[in-house]
Amino acid sequence: MSKISVTGLRKSFGYNEVLKGLDVEITEGEVVCVIGPSGSGKSTLLRCLNKLDELSAGTVIVDGFNLSDKTVDLNEVRQHIGMVFQHFNLFPHMTVLQNIMLAPTELKKESKADARATALKLLDRVGLSDKADARPAQLSGGQKQRVAIARSLAVNPDIMLFDEATSALDPEMVGEVLQVIRDLAAEGMTMIVVTHEMGFAREVADRVIFMADGLIVEEGTPAELFGNPQHERTQDFLSKVL
Amino acid sequence: MFRAGKLTVAVTALLALAGGFLGVSAAAANPSQAAVTGENYVIGTDTTFAPFEYREDGELTGIDMDLVRDIAANQGFTVEIKSLGFDAALQALQSNQVDGVIAGMSITDERELIFDFSDPYFDSGVQMAVAEDNTEITGYAGLAGETVVAKRGSEGETFANSIKDEYDFTVKALADSATMYDDVKAGNSVAVFDDYPVLAYGINQNNGLKSVTEKEQGSSYGFAVNKGQNPELLAAFNTGLAELKDNGDYQTILDTYLEQPAPAAASGFFGLLSDSMPALMKGLGLTLLATGLSILIALVLGVLFGFFTVSESRILRGIASVYVSIFRGTPLLVQAFFFYFGLPQLSGQSIDVLTAGVLTLSLNAGAYMTEIVRGGIQSVDPGQTEAGRSLGLGYVTTMRRVVLPQAVKIMTPSFINQFVMTLKDTSLLAVIGFAELTYQGQQIYAANFRTGETLLIVAALYFIVINLLTMLSNKLDKRFNK
Ligand SMILES: Nc1ncnc2c1ncn2[C@@H]1O[C@H](COP(=O)(O)OP(=O)(O)OP(=O)(O)O)[C@@H](O)[C@H]1O
Ligand SMILES: [Mg+2]
Repeated sequence: MSKISVTGLRKSFGYNEVLKGLDVEITEGEVVCVIGPSGSGKSTLLRCLNKLDELSAGTVIVDGFNLSDKTVDLNEVRQHIGMVFQHFNLFPHMTVLQNIMLAPTELKKESKADARATALKLLDRVGLSDKADARPAQLSGGQKQRVAIARSLAVNPDIMLFDEATSALDPEMVGEVLQVIRDLAAEGMTMIVVTHEMGFAREVADRVIFMADGLIVEEGTPAELFGNPQHERTQDFLSKVL
Repeated sequence: MFRAGKLTVAVTALLALAGGFLGVSAAAANPSQAAVTGENYVIGTDTTFAPFEYREDGELTGIDMDLVRDIAANQGFTVEIKSLGFDAALQALQSNQVDGVIAGMSITDERELIFDFSDPYFDSGVQMAVAEDNTEITGYAGLAGETVVAKRGSEGETFANSIKDEYDFTVKALADSATMYDDVKAGNSVAVFDDYPVLAYGINQNNGLKSVTEKEQGSSYGFAVNKGQNPELLAAFNTGLAELKDNGDYQTILDTYLEQPAPAAASGFFGLLSDSMPALMKGLGLTLLATGLSILIALVLGVLFGFFTVSESRILRGIASVYVSIFRGTPLLVQAFFFYFGLPQLSGQSIDVLTAGVLTLSLNAGAYMTEIVRGGIQSVDPGQTEAGRSLGLGYVTTMRRVVLPQAVKIMTPSFINQFVMTLKDTSLLAVIGFAELTYQGQQIYAANFRTGETLLIVAALYFIVINLLTMLSNKLDKRFNK
């Protein structure tokens, strides 16, 4: 069953066309890693999927919602599709627990007590039960990113987007965050993961998409893409990062 | 001008005579008196033009004040005196903010074009004075190459200008007598041209000057109403004046102020402090009231227009930017004059000085608050909004729970700063006659000529209050914006 369906997606900032016509189909439970050089449009693609950026042309259908349809309630769609950012974007004026409880309580999905119980369960899942009352400023980068993941999961999405979730981390903290993503994959979460961690992509991805210059150059299973890249651009890119 | 003055004096004398013959019963039957009986009139006057109007222990007193009150009592009406300053009183009369003006005002042809004058109640004249220790200047001839001061728009200025070419001096205009006397004592000007009763009174009060010329024959003072307005008030004033002249009350009033006995020795600094405190405290209260009201309204305006500046609607952003540029792009003083004098003239709706003052300050501070709010919201990392929105929270919820709590923390020091600025800006409202702290200080030194000491006390009061409030605000900031 298709969870995300992208056809002919174009996105321009002024005269600068950043996405030049993309088609992507993602089925339930699939884990797709997106790789590509800097500036190729990976982040922009993710931001079009939850409409943090407006689409210039084409259609995006997420969980059956057509994002170009003006009658679609974007706030509702966004509860189906969580997003984790490179720089965490935790709310600095709230404790860890308050960060996680904010959306469920404001959206009236859960009572305060239930939201608290859920938040504590999520914290346990990302291994941070002891940090419930800490402020973001008191956490390490890896801990912050795990809290951010727990915060996204709190509204119970069935798709997760990760935009270079480990790029801002010190090397020794990358592993703990990747482990959480790995666990989510094992639980069957549908995910699009933009990453520079090729080893991780090879291990976890069902499919790898290589982007360059606003286009999808090549896609395939990790074995295909890493083992036998077809395009010169792909070979060139992989030779530099592997 | 002089001939006209003599004519009116003659008319006054005739009227007085008639009043005397006809007696009380005739006066009671006077239609003008019937028209004013029980009425309350608002009378504008100068801030300080001793001995015509000045404050003693916080109460307005002087020849004009005694005269207008006695005439009111005599004619059966009541008056509410507004001490506005000379220029301000005339503007207030033109915009019908007051019913009449008595301010030691000479009857001139120009003024008669826009006002209706009563019979003259005092014959004045211009006299020149120099610093007490000045032995060089003994007449107009000594003024060559020098600068003299005169009161803006007064008889003194007209006279000085009329002889300045002949004697080769420059005339500088200032707004009130106390400032002019200080200017001469400080040596910025060598001489002052002022109305003789004022000058005589000041010298008698040890203001450090001495007169060196005879009084020039001048015009006469009259009570004025706006052209064509309040004819019954004017008639009642004339009738009352005639009766006071007749019963001797008029002469008693003049003697009280002009035959002043030698003044009591000046009290020390602490005497001044304790004497001036009641008036200054009243002024401080009004300063705080105007500041408090203005800041509250400015806060509402700032939040409203601040949200406009970050909104997605081009129209709302346009409205906010027009508002901000108007109020940041014009001087506060011009805004104050506009709201107090200009607006009533345009709308025909009079406005009281507190309302005009608060309107000015709140709209002005609101423009700065708008910028503070805009800056605060924009300084919050856009990633915060994106995180909120990506969780499915709406724009308003994201603002309220995520952006604003962080923005407020950033904005608080600027808010406190604006609060202090607005408090200080209230002092500018003295020019429209709002009786706040600075105004009260001006009143005090205009009467006692102790400018330096009085201003020190006023400044100290501002300093203490501002620093106390700043400390309090910072404490609250620390407490709530941890
Ligand atoms: N808000 C914006 N306004 C204008 N141009 C933008 C904006 N966001 C992105 N771009 C441009 O779009 C292009 C693609 O950016 P994008 O962030 O999607 O690249 P990326 O593949 O994620 O790169 P990186 O690996 O460095 O994160 C870049 O040239 C960038 O300058
Ligand atoms: Mg990116």
